[in-house]
Amino acid sequence: MANFLVWCVWAVAAFACVASALGVVTFRNPFFSALSLIGNLASLAVLYLLLGGEFVAAAQVLVYGGAVMVMFLFVIAYLGDRTGEAPWAGGPSWQLVGTVLAASALLVEVIVAVGLSTGGELSHSAHVTRSFGSPEQIGRLFLTNQLIAFEVTSIVLLVAAVGGVVLGSHARVTAVEPPPPHLIDEAALVGAGAEADARA
Amino acid sequence: MHGPDVSWYIALAGLLFATGAVGVLVRRSPLIILLSVEIMLNGANLALIAFARHLGNEQGQVFAIAVMAVAASEVVVGLGLIVAMGRRNVELDVDKLRTLRG
Amino acid sequence: MAGAAWVCLLTPLAAVLVITLAGERLSRRGAGYLSTASTMVSFAAAIVAFVIMLGESSDARIHGTTAYTWLSAGPYSFGLSLLTDQLSVMMMLIVAGVGSLIVAYSVGYMEGEDEERRYFAYMSLFVFSMLLLVQSGNLLLLLAGWGMVGLSSYLLIGFHQERPSAIAAAKKAFVMNAFGDATMALALFLLIQHTGRLDFAGVFASSPTHGTVANLIALGLLGGAVAKSAQIPLHTWLPDAMEGPTPVSALIHAATMVTAGVYLICRCHPLFEYAPKVQDVAAGLGAVTLLMAGLIALVQVDIKRVIAYSTMSQIGYMFVGVGVGAYPAAMFHLMTHAFFKALLFLAAGIVIHALAGEQDIRRMGGLGRVMPFTRTVFWIGALALAGMPFFSGFFSKDAIVGATMTRGWYGYCLFAACVLGALLTGLYTFRLVFLVFHGERSEFAREHLHVPESGREGPFSMLWTVAVLALLSLIGGWLQWTQLWHPLTDWLDPVAAPTADPSDTQEWIATVSALVAGLAGIGLAWAAYVKRSVRIPKPVALFEKKFYWDELYDAVFYRPADLISRGLGRFFEQPVIGGSIGDVRDGFRAGAGEVARVQNGLVRAYVLALASGVAVLAVVFLTNR
Repeated sequence: MANFLVWCVWAVAAFACVASALGVVTFRNPFFSALSLIGNLASLAVLYLLLGGEFVAAAQVLVYGGAVMVMFLFVIAYLGDRTGEAPWAGGPSWQLVGTVLAASALLVEVIVAVGLSTGGELSHSAHVTRSFGSPEQIGRLFLTNQLIAFEVTSIVLLVAAVGGVVLGSHARVTAVEPPPPHLIDEAALVGAGAEADARA
Repeated sequence: MHGPDVSWYIALAGLLFATGAVGVLVRRSPLIILLSVEIMLNGANLALIAFARHLGNEQGQVFAIAVMAVAASEVVVGLGLIVAMGRRNVELDVDKLRTLRG
Repeated sequence: MAGAAWVCLLTPLAAVLVITLAGERLSRRGAGYLSTASTMVSFAAAIVAFVIMLGESSDARIHGTTAYTWLSAGPYSFGLSLLTDQLSVMMMLIVAGVGSLIVAYSVGYMEGEDEERRYFAYMSLFVFSMLLLVQSGNLLLLLAGWGMVGLSSYLLIGFHQERPSAIAAAKKAFVMNAFGDATMALALFLLIQHTGRLDFAGVFASSPTHGTVANLIALGLLGGAVAKSAQIPLHTWLPDAMEGPTPVSALIHAATMVTAGVYLICRCHPLFEYAPKVQDVAAGLGAVTLLMAGLIALVQVDIKRVIAYSTMSQIGYMFVGVGVGAYPAAMFHLMTHAFFKALLFLAAGIVIHALAGEQDIRRMGGLGRVMPFTRTVFWIGALALAGMPFFSGFFSKDAIVGATMTRGWYGYCLFAACVLGALLTGLYTFRLVFLVFHGERSEFAREHLHVPESGREGPFSMLWTVAVLALLSLIGGWLQWTQLWHPLTDWLDPVAAPTADPSDTQEWIATVSALVAGLAGIGLAWAAYVKRSVRIPKPVALFEKKFYWDELYDAVFYRPADLISRGLGRFFEQPVIGGSIGDVRDGFRAGAGEVARVQNGLVRAYVLALASGVAVLAVVFLTNR
């Protein structure tokens, strides 16, 4: 019974996961893409729970869903019309073909690689206790074996925060300088952008 | 262990990864590309967690948390870039941003 | 003994290095004094070696000393070795002695010259090279010295770099000498092949004693000697070499370098004795040269060219001497010739110096009254050259002439040539003397001759050196009078025993004939140029054009080479080589252009490349577990 239940939950979560991933990639409106990603994160959290990673699942929802996706949505809102284009529009034609080939190749390889290296062992997972994946365990690991990873990660976060601030700060523009010509295609945008900058 | 074997989870992770890769390669908006990269990272995370469960070793989960932190930082920087570009009215089209050419 | 030899050799080299490295820090005068001093030290060392050798018994006089193994390859090894024996000591004394006098003369002659330091560095380089040549203990080192004297000659002939004629003359000399070097090198190759060594004793013992190889070896060496000593057919460079400063002409092209060929033949006389035909050829070349040069000298109007052709002619005598096997006689003539020829050149230098560079004898005349010292020494040199008794030339030339009579009918032809040559010698020499020093003072001379207030005809350094040479020309010949006393022949006997042994009668016939011919020549000159009783015929074009040798070489060698090189340049070098380089360049450009198309700036393309790369790598890693 329990097995069947788990299978059901797994099937639903897996289906949601794949569907939302495809949604992210195909939606024209970036807002919908972001929402799909939230769905993806949620279904992944369920899968993590199934795998005994409680803390990770919670962290996933909180960090990814709560922070990262919020940022994404903010930016999408800010950019509004300027955000995007039709998914399959433009680009060289070999791009598409090459892409599909490469992606499928990667998929097949992952499966083959894992299959070859593990043989039949994947069916016999280790037996784990109830405290597997608990915050206690994770915390202990972070502060003993993986201390360096912990510290380095915090530095990375710090750097990213600083970078974010720098990137987001208003450039002290005394004279309105037009963007370099090779970065934009229509010179018409220059005037509009310059006024917007001067007002901001 | 109840439910599917670890191999099912791995297959799912591979699928996620491939989907994310397709998104990166095909979409032209940097924003969507960033989202697709997130999907790829999540796929890797899923694989990590699955193997952690398989081997009974939580280090995989620790690794996954670190990946999450890095992903967050990367998103911060990426979005900052996109906002900066948007402010300067640079068209957000990856095909148009071509100055790094030989 | 070894120490003396090394000091003799290396002191001039030290002078070269010091002058070169000191550069501007050494004054011009200082360079001159340093060069002179080093050559004199060299001479002193040679005297020391000579004195030591005198004290030894005559079979113990051969000394070899090796510094280290210079070249070693497989079974062959050649050392940096010096040979000090009777022959080389004689040459050391001549080279260093006459050399030091000439370098001392140069201090006065080259005064005020801008590039004086370079001149003295080159002069010391030459002295070193010549000493290396005569002191070398094996043929390889001799070849090195040979080449280096050629180099010094080139540098000194072309000393006045701003004159294109000087540069051309230097190149001509070097190229003709290079030809001789090549034949010599071929001979050395043959020697190595057949004997495996190049040291003199070993070579003479194991070289083939007859047959084609022996002839070829001797011919190769003869080629080198002919080039260096300006004999027919490689003689055209010597008159042009007069472009160099007069002391250079005296040292290199009269006293020492041009006699290197004679030294070579004397040193390698066993090899020549193994090839008697080649020796006869040498004698024949000498005889022809002696006549031809004498005839040309009759019509030359440049004072230095007359003396240059005279040198050519006298070396012809020396070649006749070695050709018939009279090695001591030839070496004796080499020595006396060094004295009086250097004297003549240096005295001519005094005249040229006083006339501020004028060398045309038609513009000179009557200088004897204003320059008595020069006139006297010039007379001494001229009498020695003409072989008048008891000046030095008399003794040495007659010894050679006497030796020619021992060779049968060929020898008699040589004898006739030598006697005729004596007549010509007297004629052209005294033509020069009378035209320059006697008669009325020419208009040019009256205007341009400036004798300084001190009354001296030139700087002191020029005068005392010339005086010493005049003394040597007077008494140097008394060293040997073959019929009566012959210390030189005895001295050289262990290393260069003569194979010609004329009887006393033949000697006397030779002496008398040469003397009569010489006197006839002088008398003819007197009659023509002083008394004006004999009409001077117009110069024959043949003589004036130097027997058309230059024109011949121009047509046979220069024109075709020029044509070929220009043709090659146009049809091969430009299109093929230049073009191929251009094509390589274009090809690379095009290729790079194609490769650069990968970097199109499209981010997605780069990412695709990344993804594809990862896919391929994954396959690779999977298959190579």
